[in-house]
Amino acid sequence: MYGHYNLPFTVEQEGIAISVEKTGKQLIYKRTLGTDKVEKIILGDEKHLIINPVEPLNTPKEITPNLLIEFEKTLLLAGGARRKIFLTFPVEIGVFIADNGDKNLQLLDVLSLVRQKFTLYGEVSNGVICKHWKSQIYSISPSPNPLQEGIIELTLRNVSSDWASISKVVFSAYGMKLYYAGDVFTRARMDILNRNTAETGFELQKLSGELKSSPLKDVKTRKEAFGVYRLKKLGIAPLNFYMGSGF
Amino acid sequence: MITNIDFLDFVLYTTSKAPVTIGHLLKFILILSVSVLFSRILTLYLRRSLKDKVSKDVSETVLKILYYGILIIVFISALPLIGLNPSALLVAGGVTGIILGFASQNIVGNLVSGFFLMVERPIKIGDQVQINDVSGYVTDIRIISTHIRTFEGLLVRIPNQQVFTTNITNIVGHPVRRFEYTIRIRYSDDANAAIFLIKDLIDKEPFALLNPSPSVFVNDLGESSVNISVRIWAPVNEWFGIKTRILWNIKQTLEENGIEIPLPQRIVRIQTDAKEIPKELMPEKEIESVLNYEERVLA
Repeated sequence: MYGHYNLPFTVEQEGIAISVEKTGKQLIYKRTLGTDKVEKIILGDEKHLIINPVEPLNTPKEITPNLLIEFEKTLLLAGGARRKIFLTFPVEIGVFIADNGDKNLQLLDVLSLVRQKFTLYGEVSNGVICKHWKSQIYSISPSPNPLQEGIIELTLRNVSSDWASISKVVFSAYGMKLYYAGDVFTRARMDILNRNTAETGFELQKLSGELKSSPLKDVKTRKEAFGVYRLKKLGIAPLNFYMGSGF
Repeated sequence: MITNIDFLDFVLYTTSKAPVTIGHLLKFILILSVSVLFSRILTLYLRRSLKDKVSKDVSETVLKILYYGILIIVFISALPLIGLNPSALLVAGGVTGIILGFASQNIVGNLVSGFFLMVERPIKIGDQVQINDVSGYVTDIRIISTHIRTFEGLLVRIPNQQVFTTNITNIVGHPVRRFEYTIRIRYSDDANAAIFLIKDLIDKEPFALLNPSPSVFVNDLGESSVNISVRIWAPVNEWFGIKTRILWNIKQTLEENGIEIPLPQRIVRIQTDAKEIPKELMPEKEIESVLNYEERVLA
């Protein structure tokens, strides 16, 4: 389903039906997912549609830029150790309309096929609301349904000398960059500073061909997805998340 | 022309340094007017520039400080034009301050409270608050007063002194809040099944938070019903919508599964024969023996 489409067009997959029909001089965007239906009128010439994975924080309503991934099992990381693990994260499907050359991007629609749930990270008085997701810990890259889940290659680095017991990780979506082809992929890091605090962030550099951990996928064929958060006019938005209430 | 010059040179009063003419006074008023206009244009421009970058409450506070800061600086700088020396004003400020203080106690009180409200920030623009008996959204925190838009859409202006010295309940002061229902079911219904169904509904609701976790439990065995308490945490901006949505869903789901919310019950016995006492109302022998327990022991 992900890709660039010239208008008019129709696509259907996994219960999602997206189409742009030409009615006179107007283009009508229609999307159906179960009982949820969206219809919009597009006025403009020489546009094309882009469907790609976006940050999982826009549905059912955008109330937080933070994503909390809870591990199925607690992970223990030795002091000074550095390890790579793979996690899954929820994916939302973003529909954009753009001029030729992917200029003047405008978000048309966002939908999700996965369970939506929110949680609080920290205390009631000073915590932050996060989108919640539960993931297994994988040593090699898993192969989830790309319309529902993506893969995070997470580099854990324990800079302290103590063991770290990790059961969750929180990310800020402002720094999230997604790449897609047959899967949806992103890279992130988690630096454990001491027993109770850590800093997380997404790797902002472009993926190069050295991704040894997922040899089956040709990394160069992955496309960089347009994100909803990058379209926003941001002032000073923190790209990293400081986990000060434990992990 | 000569008349005009004469008019502008007309001496209003003379200070120790120089005479103050109408021209000086007009110049002073003009400078103040231009500075007001300049401050307004500057704050308007900055308000638009900061709109998507900084939260409204922060930008409004910064803009107010900037606006009044410019006016105060220009006012003090222009004072020599009307023959007032700012340094002398500061010396005289002590006495003047006392006089002004007594004369404008309330205004100064509100002004100082407004300053502390901006610094301490117990409330911010956009917050849902309750101040005294007024509940609503904070639409503006001005230098003298705070404006509240009530939930009914009315504008209430509260003097800052009152806001600062009274109890403020900030409904959105914390990121999450809890709400609670009491669901009553019949004694003949399975309370465990009801709890399971309610928990399942909460689990399906995205904004019912996983942490702090919701709790559903039998809280009371009432006169006519088993009372189940349902406590749910939700984001402060979403709690009301969830509260109304889940309650109705609970009612529907319980009814679909044969669990009903009972009406209050009273068992009324109509006695036809006044001489005949119902068995239930007859005092039992065991009770009597318990009452006489002390006597029997002593004996």
